[in-house]
Amino acid sequence: MAAADLSTKLARDDIQGLLASGYGRLPAACYLLLAIEEPRRAGAWLGRLAGKLTTARERPLKTAVNVALASSGLAKLGLPPALGGFSDRFLDGMTASPRSRALGDVGADAPERWRWGGPTTTTVDVLLLLYAADDGLLAALEERLVRPADGLALVQRLDTQWSEREHFGFRDGISQPLVEGLRAGRPDDVISAGEFVLGYRNEHGQLTRRPRVDRASDPRGILPTDSATGDADLGRNGSYVVLRTLSQDVRAFWGFVEGATTNGAGDSGDQAARLRLAAQIVGRWPNGEPLVLAPDGPPETPPQPTNDFRYHDVDAHGERCPLGAHIRRAHPRDSLDPKPGSERSIAIDKLHRLLRRGRGFGAPIAPAAALNGGARDGEERGLHFICLCANIARQFEFVQHTWVNNPKFNGLYDDPDPLLGPAGRTLTVQARPINRRVPGLPSFVGVLGGAYFFLPGVRAVRYLAALAPAAGGR
Amino acid sequence: MAHVRTVQPPSTNGPEPVAAGRGAAAEIPAPAPDRRAARQLAITVVADVRRPRLAGLKRTLQALGADPATNAMVPFAALPRTHFARLLVLDPDATADGAPIEPHLVYMADVDEPADAEPALERCLEELVDVAGEGLDRIFGACVGYPPPSRATRALRLAFLHAHAVSAAAAYVNTIGRSVRQILQEEQLRIAIREFLDRRGAELGDREPDEVRTAIRQFVRGRAELAWALTPPPSPSLADRAKDAGHLLALPAGLLALSPVIVPALPLYALALRRQEKRDPDPHISPTRDHVLALAESEDHAPQNQFSAVGFLKAGRLRRLTAEVVTRGIDYAARHVYGHANLAGVKTIHCARWVWLDDHRRLIFASNYDGSLESYNDDFVDKVWWGLNAVFSNGVGWPRTRWLFFDGARQEQAFKDWLRRNQVPTQVWYSAYPQLTALNVENNARIRSGLHQEAMSAKEATRWLRRI
Repeated sequence: MAAADLSTKLARDDIQGLLASGYGRLPAACYLLLAIEEPRRAGAWLGRLAGKLTTARERPLKTAVNVALASSGLAKLGLPPALGGFSDRFLDGMTASPRSRALGDVGADAPERWRWGGPTTTTVDVLLLLYAADDGLLAALEERLVRPADGLALVQRLDTQWSEREHFGFRDGISQPLVEGLRAGRPDDVISAGEFVLGYRNEHGQLTRRPRVDRASDPRGILPTDSATGDADLGRNGSYVVLRTLSQDVRAFWGFVEGATTNGAGDSGDQAARLRLAAQIVGRWPNGEPLVLAPDGPPETPPQPTNDFRYHDVDAHGERCPLGAHIRRAHPRDSLDPKPGSERSIAIDKLHRLLRRGRGFGAPIAPAAALNGGARDGEERGLHFICLCANIARQFEFVQHTWVNNPKFNGLYDDPDPLLGPAGRTLTVQARPINRRVPGLPSFVGVLGGAYFFLPGVRAVRYLAALAPAAGGR
Repeated sequence: MAHVRTVQPPSTNGPEPVAAGRGAAAEIPAPAPDRRAARQLAITVVADVRRPRLAGLKRTLQALGADPATNAMVPFAALPRTHFARLLVLDPDATADGAPIEPHLVYMADVDEPADAEPALERCLEELVDVAGEGLDRIFGACVGYPPPSRATRALRLAFLHAHAVSAAAAYVNTIGRSVRQILQEEQLRIAIREFLDRRGAELGDREPDEVRTAIRQFVRGRAELAWALTPPPSPSLADRAKDAGHLLALPAGLLALSPVIVPALPLYALALRRQEKRDPDPHISPTRDHVLALAESEDHAPQNQFSAVGFLKAGRLRRLTAEVVTRGIDYAARHVYGHANLAGVKTIHCARWVWLDDHRRLIFASNYDGSLESYNDDFVDKVWWGLNAVFSNGVGWPRTRWLFFDGARQEQAFKDWLRRNQVPTQVWYSAYPQLTALNVENNARIRSGLHQEAMSAKEATRWLRRI
């Protein structure tokens, strides 16, 4: 393999900006789920859009635009369905039945009941992500970019609401992997670019599978060349987007916490006990401080919540932060085999990182207001969870199945994720001399929709846009 | 007196019944304690299937697989010493030079050897015949050489199974000597203690660790159905230990004796192998999506999963010799090094085996593991790649290795694709305890062993209490 192909020098101007930034400076955002009705027009639209896409080189202050495509969208644009190189999980989709089981999308969360992305809803072909400094700019951006004559139909508009805290009241998005070559920082968090950007070395020092096409199918030379095979590199500088619309039941969360900390005599548990149990479910205090560093109570709000910590040395047994707490399983750091506390454990953790880019929806509500019936205000609340990864199976699905949903995580018996798991689960709170079990957790988070998308590099967007005329304007 | 609590796993979320056992749902019998620790026997029966009967056999197995524990044909739960069992059909195939390979029916079971029966295999097959009876006719009746149903008798069934039984080239058990009954009992013990602590937690929470342990011991002592927990599990008999010691020494002694031949031959062997490694094709062929989806349908219905894969050996005597030696080495290491809940850093495998097929032209691998195939694969890529390379690189299509042990399985995508492509559907799969991970089983055993220790320091007691 030619060395140039494996260089870590990232082609920032070809990489969509979402890989580099969550656009925190652009608080207004919406995600448009689109269906392609007329491939030729949609292709032309995509071609025009390519020039407006925000890349990893920019630091936008007013607006940002990114686009991703579902496998159905690629097919409608004219990409041969048999084309190899894409992730199987992407091609099969999030709702293939083995996937639903592994992801926990069963019962009330089954795709049949989803509002979008399920078998009974309109197929989503395109995901258009729009960001702006304010609502006015966002509305104008949307109007400018999607017009009736573009051959697209709006399946659903996913609105978002900017907040540093998710709806249960906890600061979110604190721990993020840093894409090597785009961001620098704490070594534990610096992850090989190939874990997120296709066409670069991943944590195994290898190239994750990615789609390539025959050079002849790209006569204008739009795509970069894969120097190893001479093929046109459709995957390079791309990634996969996992989007899931999750509902959050704020009343159920704080109601359960209150009930579980109320003693048998009916006296309401004190505020500190409630807060502690809630924090044990999450693994951080509401202000973001991790329990392992602040086991005795929430410290004064720090300017930035601490993320520089590992588990093993301070809390190998979960007596500060329960072994099953949400953040300890979504990102176990150095706590797992083959040797907890070692660099080998960190190396394993690095193979399962997610670059999170989601945003919440629905107006925030304070716990007290939710408990007093305010959560029956008819307002829907939740999170449009987005994560980016190069290997859906090893990253998103692994984390969801092997860590988050797994009742057996880290030697436990009956403890799926206390925050995200299904109703009836147990949270074990490790303590001396005896562990305490908190049984019967109800469901706090539901699934309302979801899909996998391919986030192409800008040149790949241009290539895909140019396919449609060849497809004969079906 | 409280009734014996059964180990009844919660139901899985799967939309349809699946190839996962229900566990020994019946009450655990309380027979006299074993006098010696049972060894685990890896039973394998391989028989050719008559081609016209192949489709019908698959349908029969599919039906059986929907309820492996209590179906009418082979109700595996009625074989209380069976940890795991599977039945699978290998489709017809052909060797590289075009010679046809008949379809096979493969039966595999991991069974505790009966305490007082020699030879153990005979006794285990008898039990299978006695429990399944005519059910076996419906399955093995599709095989060449099986007596016609009207004439099948106990003796003929037994003779057929015995004639088609093959021994494993290598067999691994997570913890040698731990019986099904012990595993189920120790889970029952853990649940009882845990519920005791749930009830008494408020009052015991302020006590010293050793006081809590004393209270737990008193509780267990007061429960007749847990009386067994106050004694250690049986240990290997003197005869077994003598046999193990002999086996342990035989290999190094043999190697030493042969060293005048082996030592000079080794560099020549290594160079010859290296030459072949460079020449072997490295095709990296992806499995089809349909194949993968069909396999995935039977996965992730419980914390445990199964895996079966079959592959051709590369041509030539060198590869055959290597595979023979390496599987023997694995078998030796499984018995003497890795029999204690840790396979070189991997703690999620319950049982695994390699069995030669078709006159050593093919090798079948079968395992029972915890978690998803993705996590199982990752354990291989990250932790025991060297071991996999040593054996599987002798198989056709394995990602290219270097000096037998290196590269190969480290090529993540090529390795994962090879496993999926060589994986075959397992029509029937039974586990006696599908809800228990190997970590759970090991932890439960340590909970029990902490009970019968007389004195414990505060530190030891704290460490023990963490397990509950």
